[in-house]
Amino acid sequence: MLNKERIILMTKMASYEVNEGKRNVAIGSYFRGDYIGWQVLKSIISATIAFVVVFGMYIYYDFEVFMMDIYKMDLIEFARHILFMYLWTVGIYAVVSYVVYTMRYMRAVKSLNLYYMNLRKLAAMYKA
Amino acid sequence: MTSLLVAKQILMTLYSKYEVYITPLLKFLLALISLLLINSHMGYMESIDRTTVVLIVSLMCSFMPMNFIVVMAALFTMLHLYAFNLECTIVVGAGFLLMFLLYLRFSPKDTLVVLLIPVCFLLRIPYVVPLAMGLVGTPVSAVSITCGVIAYYMLHFVTQNVSTILAMADEEMTARFKFIVDGLLNNRQMVITIAAFAVTVILVYLIRRMSIDYAWTIAMAAGAVVNITVLLVGDLMFDTNVALLEVVLGNILSLFIAVVLQFFVFNVDYSRTEKVQFEDDEYYYYVKAVPKISVSKPEKKVKQINSQKNKAASRNRYTH
Repeated sequence: MLNKERIILMTKMASYEVNEGKRNVAIGSYFRGDYIGWQVLKSIISATIAFVVVFGMYIYYDFEVFMMDIYKMDLIEFARHILFMYLWTVGIYAVVSYVVYTMRYMRAVKSLNLYYMNLRKLAAMYKA
Repeated sequence: MTSLLVAKQILMTLYSKYEVYITPLLKFLLALISLLLINSHMGYMESIDRTTVVLIVSLMCSFMPMNFIVVMAALFTMLHLYAFNLECTIVVGAGFLLMFLLYLRFSPKDTLVVLLIPVCFLLRIPYVVPLAMGLVGTPVSAVSITCGVIAYYMLHFVTQNVSTILAMADEEMTARFKFIVDGLLNNRQMVITIAAFAVTVILVYLIRRMSIDYAWTIAMAAGAVVNITVLLVGDLMFDTNVALLEVVLGNILSLFIAVVLQFFVFNVDYSRTEKVQFEDDEYYYYVKAVPKISVSKPEKKVKQINSQKNKAASRNRYTH
């Protein structure tokens, strides 16, 4: 005998598993710290590559002037300045990433909890 | 109105029934239009400026995820630029890379907007994207739209300065590089467009979320007016040569498209709004419920002129 309520619940859960749930299950398989840490690390790598690209273009933009000035300038001061800018860029980007991925993790866990609750409800329906 | 609602119902039924075929078809069409537009505006590499290549790639896109179309469009653009000029390839490539690294990896769902903005610019209706994203998206969509506007103006600058860049062939590579970077960074029209679109998205979003009747309609109209105003004020302040008629007509057309979008996404009957008030142990609730407009699809009735009994009788008569 078909149980209409059970079929509706199973359909909803199957739809969740295929769509939104897929990503949430992947997020939920990590511990909170591991997930956020890994994502922030990827963000730091991305920001580093982006900084290198922008810095490379900045140098190339005035390459001749830079090559002429390179013997006159205080290289340690220049390197310190660049390092300072790099740390600022990566720092801000990492903080933004931390906030975004923390929210994303919390939202996924909340959604998964609802899914697991429905799973328990389904199990109870089978027992009844 | 009823016939429109019936048509909507039929369309929705058809889409849910043939979704497996319709979605790849739409992807195919989007890829085809995008690639054809890219080829028509920057067909520098002959080997990919062919209809057969475009058709094959579009067909491939129809079976891949939506973002694959964006990747293919970027690849086509880069190949054309590479055939034209190395410095342009470096600058535009760096722009694409920065967009991907810093923003698009956060929200891959919005990647399509980056493609839609240049396509709509070429179709002369870019204003529809901020209106639509304000209606169905979030204020964060303003960042995706900004990326799209930057991508368009990068390519626009290259296509508008082809002869100048070619004339600089004898000069140093750094001089050409400097010319392109300066042209992109000092593009005031781009900055004003970004400002106008960002303000439009945020305003449309804020108004359509308000608890007022006809919030969506007011949001669309206000968005179009603000869009025009910011573009014109920007033109007055920075002399960006905005074509007034094109902006106004483009916004009117975009408004019309947004109305169609509203019809499909948010079609409610404000005349039947119900306001209820109740409380529990922790809160007072002031609920405003606006019913959706829906009609049932008319059932087709087939009237049989001769009944089954007569049919059977006549069949028997012929067999005996």
